[in-house]
Amino acid sequence: MKPLIAGLVRNRKALVGMIILLIIVLIAVAAPLLTGYNPAARVGRPHQPPSAEHWLGTTRIGQDVFARLIYGARTSLAVGFGAGLLITVLGTALGIIAGYRGGKTDEIISFFTNMVLVVPNLPLLLVLASFIGQASPMVIAIILGLTSWAWGARVTRAETLSVKQKDFVKSAEMMGEPRWRIMTFEIFPNLISIVGINFIGSVIFAIITEATLEFLGLGDPKTVSWGMMLYNAQKASALSVGAWWDILTPCFALALLGVGLSLLNFAVDEIANPRLRTGNSMKRWSSLIRSGEGRL
Amino acid sequence: MAFLLRRLGFYLAAFIAAATINFFLPRLMPGDPIQIMFSSTGTELSAENLESLKLTFGFVDGPLWQQYFTYLKSIFTGDLGRSIKYFPLPVTEVLGHALIWTVGLMGTATLISFTLGTFLGILAAWRRGSVFDVVVSVGAIFATSVPAVVTSLIVLFFFGFTLNWFPTGYSADPALDPSFSLTYIGSVLYHGLLPMLTLCTVLTGGFAVTMRNNMINLLGEDYIVMARAKGLSDSRVMIWYAARNALLPTVSSLAIAIGTVLGGSLVTEVVFNYPGLGNILYQAILARDYPVIQGQLLIMTVAMLVANFIVDISYVLLDPRLRRM
Repeated sequence: MKPLIAGLVRNRKALVGMIILLIIVLIAVAAPLLTGYNPAARVGRPHQPPSAEHWLGTTRIGQDVFARLIYGARTSLAVGFGAGLLITVLGTALGIIAGYRGGKTDEIISFFTNMVLVVPNLPLLLVLASFIGQASPMVIAIILGLTSWAWGARVTRAETLSVKQKDFVKSAEMMGEPRWRIMTFEIFPNLISIVGINFIGSVIFAIITEATLEFLGLGDPKTVSWGMMLYNAQKASALSVGAWWDILTPCFALALLGVGLSLLNFAVDEIANPRLRTGNSMKRWSSLIRSGEGRL
Repeated sequence: MAFLLRRLGFYLAAFIAAATINFFLPRLMPGDPIQIMFSSTGTELSAENLESLKLTFGFVDGPLWQQYFTYLKSIFTGDLGRSIKYFPLPVTEVLGHALIWTVGLMGTATLISFTLGTFLGILAAWRRGSVFDVVVSVGAIFATSVPAVVTSLIVLFFFGFTLNWFPTGYSADPALDPSFSLTYIGSVLYHGLLPMLTLCTVLTGGFAVTMRNNMINLLGEDYIVMARAKGLSDSRVMIWYAARNALLPTVSSLAIAIGTVLGGSLVTEVVFNYPGLGNILYQAILARDYPVIQGQLLIMTVAMLVANFIVDISYVLLDPRLRRM
């Protein structure tokens, strides 16, 4: 865990990603301090361009775009991290159990994992969400969590298979440690980078998919979120009437959050897999040795 | 051969799983499933038509297993019911017509971006740390982390509305009759270019990163050092020693990526008002046309399974070890 955090601080991609994420989180938390407008209320004339009064203009029905943007960040972050956590917990648990237990357990879990992987995700979510009706962000997060763990389970299982062969696992087995203890305290800590990549990847996936589902008209119209902003703007033909601020604002917000999280993800990948690192390799190598990670 | 047969059996199971979801979902929702499925029809449907729709979806008098097998039977005989929005067109016809456009758009975009992404990845890995590598890696991060909706909207805004270079909807000029004439095909290409560019932008980065990372992992292997020590030319080592082996995991990641491709193509079509599956589906969602919504899951699953099977076959061709299994 420690080299991971130390590595994150040293990595330039991680730093930029962290700053982007931090800014968005701060804006989301401080939303009521940054705007006096209620994001759901009509506070101006329809489709006004950006002005001193409405920093990012107004929507088709006269809501303040800036207020909707910063309150919407809360929804995206909550769905992203909530669903991301659920996906990661399910995927990691199933992957470790399948990889460590082997035999019939592994066969059953792997069969289901592979099955979920070949049923296309978005079409499945569309069917689920359309039957649920106007899905609130919470419902979207839950169905995302329950349907999207397969990739993580597969990767974690593969990694568990190799960790399982290590001596310290063998010796823990010899000492008669219970299986759950070996899985949680011997194997899991050695998978932390895979779990980290899985988690950040799932957060990105959840944010993108929530926005997509809402854009396609499956969200709850009362929700204030970036996906609903896109849906309403598209329905009001914002682009063809020239109200670019209405549609491009949530676009750039989603892009920025996506890029920030991806930078973090690539950084974790590089730290976990030193071969992927670029730049001055000698300097990095010697600093690795100093921190005790590499070997001479 | 046994490997491919095993895969086929697995695909059949996966298809039945998708059908099972379709069958149970309306029955698990609170309320009357028949009411839920067909409420959007109003009174336009005659009693006779409603009866036949109910039969297709397994709403027959009898125990659940009997209903289930009735539904499976209709699906395996190719009867997906009739669309409610486009009544009386059968779902297969509504979706089949749209599928041609989607497969054309998606297939071309996947081929282009896979080829391009793989080459970029190979070169970036080979010149690791160079300016080229940095440009490819950072570009890929941007391209893959931006949702397809966002990329589509931004591309449409700049090239469609602001610069007016490209049309902002339809698969061809609506004034033209579909034919194999040069003007019509030209119009199709012109209309398809923008959505295809968008899809390529979304997809190329992912393939490039996968290939780059696989390559870098392989470049440390002994047999690469050996090939170099033998004095083989750089390009020979790069293509025939490193890239050939790095391609294997990339191809298997392609199978998983196809799901993303499908999703991306759905929203791109909605944004560009392109008459593919995505657009039909969008209209169906707004009208709560459940037979079409359920039908698309089955058709998409089949598309995904076919794509996976093609990947399986290419896997056998790429990896000689599998041929003997």
